[in-house]
Amino acid sequence: MENWTQHIFLKRLLKRRLKGMHKRTVLIVCLFLPLLAQAEAQTEVQAVDSDTPLIEPDVRPQVVDEALIDTENFEVGAFVGVINIEDFESSLLWGARMAYHLSETFFLEANVGFADGGETSFEKLAGNVQLLSDDDRNYRYYNVSFGVNVLPGEAFFAGKYAFNTNFYLVAGAGATDFAGDNRFTANFGAGYQVLLNDWLALNVVFREHLFDSDITGESKTTINSEISTGLSLFF
Amino acid sequence: MTLLTSRFAHADWWWSDAPAPQQVQVAEPYLEWRTGPASGYPIVHVVERGEWLTLLKRKTNWMKVEDEEGRQGWVDIEDILLTREGSGDLVSIVEPRFDDFSTRRWESGLMMGEFDSAAVNAAYLGYWMTEHLSAEIWGSQVLDSKSEIRLASLNLLHQPFPQWRLSPFFTLGVGQVFIKPKSTLVNVADSEDTAMNVGIGLRYYVTDRYFIRGEVKEYKIFTNRETNEEAIEWKIGLSIFF
Repeated sequence: MENWTQHIFLKRLLKRRLKGMHKRTVLIVCLFLPLLAQAEAQTEVQAVDSDTPLIEPDVRPQVVDEALIDTENFEVGAFVGVINIEDFESSLLWGARMAYHLSETFFLEANVGFADGGETSFEKLAGNVQLLSDDDRNYRYYNVSFGVNVLPGEAFFAGKYAFNTNFYLVAGAGATDFAGDNRFTANFGAGYQVLLNDWLALNVVFREHLFDSDITGESKTTINSEISTGLSLFF
Repeated sequence: MTLLTSRFAHADWWWSDAPAPQQVQVAEPYLEWRTGPASGYPIVHVVERGEWLTLLKRKTNWMKVEDEEGRQGWVDIEDILLTREGSGDLVSIVEPRFDDFSTRRWESGLMMGEFDSAAVNAAYLGYWMTEHLSAEIWGSQVLDSKSEIRLASLNLLHQPFPQWRLSPFFTLGVGQVFIKPKSTLVNVADSEDTAMNVGIGLRYYVTDRYFIRGEVKEYKIFTNRETNEEAIEWKIGLSIFF
């Protein structure tokens, strides 16, 4: 781009040379020429980009990356409790639970539970009679249930702590392996969940397991009640 | 030491260096915070337009956020989608939509129903090779008063109208049937046979990544006795695509 200062000085220089002017003037002009030219160039650049800030921020605008946000819709845990196996006493129950939260209200859960059936009253009274072998007394169940959080709430403890809670209902189906056979088993129940923090929850569940059985001779629908408590982790 | 403690203070210290905080700016006049991730929890705080929020974690359709003063609360994802990210654009969090229903590759589901008037529980995993054709692997358990039947099968499934919200399909499969009679029945041995099945069904997209699926299948079981056996099965269940 043409520069006015350069233009004027060069013109003058040329003139003076032609006129055979004093050498010192030429020298001074030669010394100052680059400085002047630079000053001129700078003002021009500033005039063009007056919108850009003098100091460029060193932080670039950030874009949210969804993959870096932790999602916690799965819950996995273990439980322990008591199950009342119809005709076979109450036994210690233990198992594992996994849940997937579809929304704030609905979830799916899968459970596996293990217990050992006790003795029927007939076996106790008759003395030396065994209705089932020890192996067949193993009580195992699995189920997949649909759950609904019906009453979300808060629980307060020691005046200082507040925990989120859920009262929920579950119903589903699965199978029970007891007395040598697998039986289709329906279940329904209710639970109370206390979230100790975002990722740790305490559950208390009351659940009924229903299956048809002919173990004691007559064919009937047995109702087996479970009450259990467990801890689960969200991930 | 400071470095060490700050690393430990971060939840993901065992994975990596702390990732850049995911921040958004409130663009609507105000935005409500709740105490927990559900609309039943009370509103405890309101932030104004212009405030910056750090996105901490997500549970279903709720995002846990923290403001610049360290306060934390839960915000509906619908409200988060109206905030702006550093570049000034609306935040880009992708919600699964109906469009994804016909483009995602994998699906999985749990189904329950009846198999020849006995209860059946089943689970499957499917892979869509094209938007019309899918391969599925099935495991089913049939429990009735006389026996327990386990079925494993491979199915091909064809849906002629993948773009429909309610999409019909046809299926054809082959598999193995394991029959275990009840222990109270005497003189009946376990058996294992090959079976083929043919069926029709419907998939109905509900919301998010979920759809309901129902189907009826006819099984032909090739026994080594004189006659083959047939059974009709119907099932309904919930499926997820990913």
